[in-house]
Amino acid sequence: MNVLIIISILGIVAMVSEIFGLRKSIWYIVVATLTGAFIINLNDWDTARRYYDDMVFIDNYAIAFMGLLLFLAFVWFFLSKDQYESDQFNTSDHYAQIIFSLTGALVLVSYANLSMLFLGVEIMSIPLYILAGSRKKDLASNEAALKYFMMGAFATGFLLFGITLIYGVVGSFNLSQIQHHVSEVGNLPLMFYAGVVMIMIGLGFKVSAFPFHFWAPDVYEGAPVMISAFMATIVKAAAFGGFYRLFSVCYTDISGHWAGTLSIVIGTTILIGNTLAVYQVNMKRMLAYSGIAQAGYLLLTLLVLTNASANALIFYIASYAIATLCTFGGLYWVIKFRGNDALDSFKGLGKSNPILALAMTISMLSLAGIPPAVGFFAKFYLFTVLLEKGFMPLVLLSVLGSLISVYYYFKIIIKMYGTASDDTSTLYISIFNKAVLIIILVAILAIGIMPNFFLGIITQ
Amino acid sequence: MTELTWLIPLLPLIGFLILGIGNKYLTKSVASTIACATILGSFLIVLSILFPLINGTLANTTISYFDWINTGSVHLSFSFLLDPLSITMMTIITGVGFLIHVYSAGYMSHDEGMTRYFAFLNLFVFSMLLLVMGSNYIVLFAGWEGVGFCSYMLIGFWYKNQNYNDAAKKAFIMNRIGDLGFLLGMLLIFQTFGSLDYATVFTTTSSIESNSSVIIAITLLLFVGAMGKSAQIPLYTWLPDAMAGPTPVSALIHAATMVTAGIYMVVRSNVLFSLAPFTLEFIQIIGLATALFAATIGLVQNDIKKVLAYSTVSQLGYMFFALGLGAYSTALFHVLTHAFFKALLFLCAGSVIHAMSGEQDIRNMGGLAKKLPITFYTFLIATLAISGIPPFAGFFSKDEILAHAFEHSPLLWGLGLAGALMTTFYMFRLLFLTFFGSFRGTEHQKNHLHESPLSMTIPLMVLAVLSTIGGFIGIPEVMGGGNWLKKFISPVLGGTAEVHTLSHETEWLLMGLSVGAVLLVIAIAYIIYVSKKTVPLTEGVETSVAQKTLYHKYYIDEIYDTIVVKPSYLLSNMLHQLVESKLIDGFVNGMGTAVNKTSAAIRFVQDGSISYYLFAMVVGIIMLLFFNTVI
Repeated sequence: MNVLIIISILGIVAMVSEIFGLRKSIWYIVVATLTGAFIINLNDWDTARRYYDDMVFIDNYAIAFMGLLLFLAFVWFFLSKDQYESDQFNTSDHYAQIIFSLTGALVLVSYANLSMLFLGVEIMSIPLYILAGSRKKDLASNEAALKYFMMGAFATGFLLFGITLIYGVVGSFNLSQIQHHVSEVGNLPLMFYAGVVMIMIGLGFKVSAFPFHFWAPDVYEGAPVMISAFMATIVKAAAFGGFYRLFSVCYTDISGHWAGTLSIVIGTTILIGNTLAVYQVNMKRMLAYSGIAQAGYLLLTLLVLTNASANALIFYIASYAIATLCTFGGLYWVIKFRGNDALDSFKGLGKSNPILALAMTISMLSLAGIPPAVGFFAKFYLFTVLLEKGFMPLVLLSVLGSLISVYYYFKIIIKMYGTASDDTSTLYISIFNKAVLIIILVAILAIGIMPNFFLGIITQ
Repeated sequence: MTELTWLIPLLPLIGFLILGIGNKYLTKSVASTIACATILGSFLIVLSILFPLINGTLANTTISYFDWINTGSVHLSFSFLLDPLSITMMTIITGVGFLIHVYSAGYMSHDEGMTRYFAFLNLFVFSMLLLVMGSNYIVLFAGWEGVGFCSYMLIGFWYKNQNYNDAAKKAFIMNRIGDLGFLLGMLLIFQTFGSLDYATVFTTTSSIESNSSVIIAITLLLFVGAMGKSAQIPLYTWLPDAMAGPTPVSALIHAATMVTAGIYMVVRSNVLFSLAPFTLEFIQIIGLATALFAATIGLVQNDIKKVLAYSTVSQLGYMFFALGLGAYSTALFHVLTHAFFKALLFLCAGSVIHAMSGEQDIRNMGGLAKKLPITFYTFLIATLAISGIPPFAGFFSKDEILAHAFEHSPLLWGLGLAGALMTTFYMFRLLFLTFFGSFRGTEHQKNHLHESPLSMTIPLMVLAVLSTIGGFIGIPEVMGGGNWLKKFISPVLGGTAEVHTLSHETEWLLMGLSVGAVLLVIAIAYIIYVSKKTVPLTEGVETSVAQKTLYHKYYIDEIYDTIVVKPSYLLSNMLHQLVESKLIDGFVNGMGTAVNKTSAAIRFVQDGSISYYLFAMVVGIIMLLFFNTVI
């Protein structure tokens, strides 16, 4: 709980830092506060408590997700440092928006009431509508912002409608009361099931599942690169945290009613995401489709809803998010030096900046699920959980999807090492930024080599 | 006492890493110092554990370091087992290994790739230590594969010579055949006992009936692994070819340590093998056949290293013969003494080759005793040891094997003795042709002859001492000794040291007979090669059919080539052209093309127009609601 308050205050501090002349030191304040919040968050481990008349419930699930979100935000601030130092944007405004969005994300993984779910989604999304359009003079950026906003508003409508329908049946927004109603009262009217599906649609949009994925490629492409990174990782992780929490708490007993449709959504999401990623020539669009495909794998955990699947979800999303952040971090440098984000600008990177190329390679291997990168173990663990419950066809489909994904992930690696570039100048990255990339890489590999250590922590 | 155990394998590994990474930057003297120092460090730590184990202040211990594999029902820890068996092997590996490292520093001093050589030699010691120290079959297997790899790298060390590369490949492939058997055996053990941990496997054997099919299958498969690694019929042909590597490598890997891994593994698994008398009988036959077969080939070879190689195959056969008789500790005793005298023989051969500027053909040697006195005397000691002349090391171990054989049947004893006599003959033939008579090489070689430097001769002398006194740790009861080694090892063998029940009179008689016969053979060899100065004929001169067959090693290589290698090539060619290129490539490429085309076709769905997106979403939503609520 304290974490939520600290991060909210940090947002306000960031917003007013310009006035108090703290602009130079705001980055340090943010990073230090995030570190502190991370430690305070871990301190609450194993002490589940409800706050504010059962609006927020900080249990181990929430703490694990909040820890992950804070860690990702921490990494994000390191990766985006250069972008804000080069003064393209108003730093303190951007930081304030990002931290407010992070606050929403934290709410979204710790809510115990549907109204908090809605608030979390909105607090998280609204700053992003603004940030996506923060290149004010860039048409693509404006377009991205508008598209994201319009489609987001559309999806929010469904989410709200779904919440209303549920309220109509149960008479409460409280998750435990809904759960009680589902398991004890039974005999639910059609209205209730319609509500469940509507909420599924609203949240499906946030995680970019088929057929609500259309916004992702256009928005990722138009938004500034580090904003896309934020959307692809932290926002997605929080959306999954919220999605899974709602369904595991409330709807486990009626999974027969929605699991079938969800399976179809998952299957198509995996196929569409992977197939479309193959033909992309723009790195951001490719990452968007890869994110869609990965969302398909992540949604698989909703079909099982056990402790093991919660662990699989956290482990997978952590592995996906860290590799994707690293990829976007690398992409930022490529855009900075080569001027565009086409796949072809990765040509010859193996020669002109070996460390950057290595970072991209390891991230790609992790996303594709090749050992010893952590992505392999995340997939392995996820599929094991599913196979134990007998979801053979979906696992086979996922493996098929992963096979296709190897094609487009390896395309980048081949471009970096296999082809020469016309631009042979060495790309210079400062030691600080190199160190950031290398530390992320070590993390990807270390967790991949000792997955049991990490899994042991989260399964406690 | 055991706190430093982890350092024993780690030190050589560190050495390998330093030498491997610093390959281009290290000078030769630095490289050899690092390599020798790491092995010496390991050796000292081994000694610090050996003595407490001997005087009983340290019990057998298993030291677990971390959980290595933990999935499903497989729980394997990375752990080491310290017991009399492993410590004996560790002492041989690090002790003899250190001497050979020192020797290499002199022997390889003229070679460009010296750092690379030492890097792999260190890696080999690391793998070999892993092999004997592991407390479960997985760690053993990791080491098992590691030594195979190092052997491959070192046989092909002079990679610019294609023949050497071929020899390396041959060794690797032959070993792979054995490894497959070993792996299958391991899997079968896991299936049967639910674990690969020695402690668990060996204590849950009570439910297994003696000679039941599953235990026979397990032990036979394990033995197939041993056949490959320890060069037994039919997988022995790689070992003579492996002499392509530098001579110290032959001494360390292909005589003293790696090739005895198979024997170690069988001794380690003695609980399983004792449950399968059928397998033991099979091992007995294979071992004896290998011992005799290889010895006959050794009789007529003219390459100094080839003679020693066939001698190694033959001696390994002897060890398996002992295993097959159920005399596990006797086999281990022979491993120990053999490590001393065979390493010494190879190192002496290396010294001779060094002096002869690379010449290996004994027909071009002769009369070297005066020029290379140290080499000559140490070689003589080793030859006496391998021939089984008391009181040299080989006598005691060989005598014990023969005693066990006699207990089973006098026929086995007779065959065993025949092998020993052939060994004596070809060893003395080698000795006489190399060191006696007059020099038969070129003038240039003659002027160049010189004794090797101290770094090479000191290891020779140390090994010579060990070859002389090494047998005393197993003096049989009949001679007033207590057979100390047998007692030391007995806890590993279930506490019951196998003892033959021959009366003392019989034992004395057998010893007398064998020593007498050996001396007679030496006399014959002396008459032929020293008194009559017979020299083997040069290539191309017609000889008798029998001799020709022996010289060409029974044409086994040619037979393998015809019945295995050529058909395999044919089959692989066919598979490549038909199945691979047409079927599989066609399928794979077809799939790729299909995905590509689909992607190209459906990407136009994403046309950038927001009204179209919203329309598609609405269609999707209607369908979802329809599926969920109506149906």
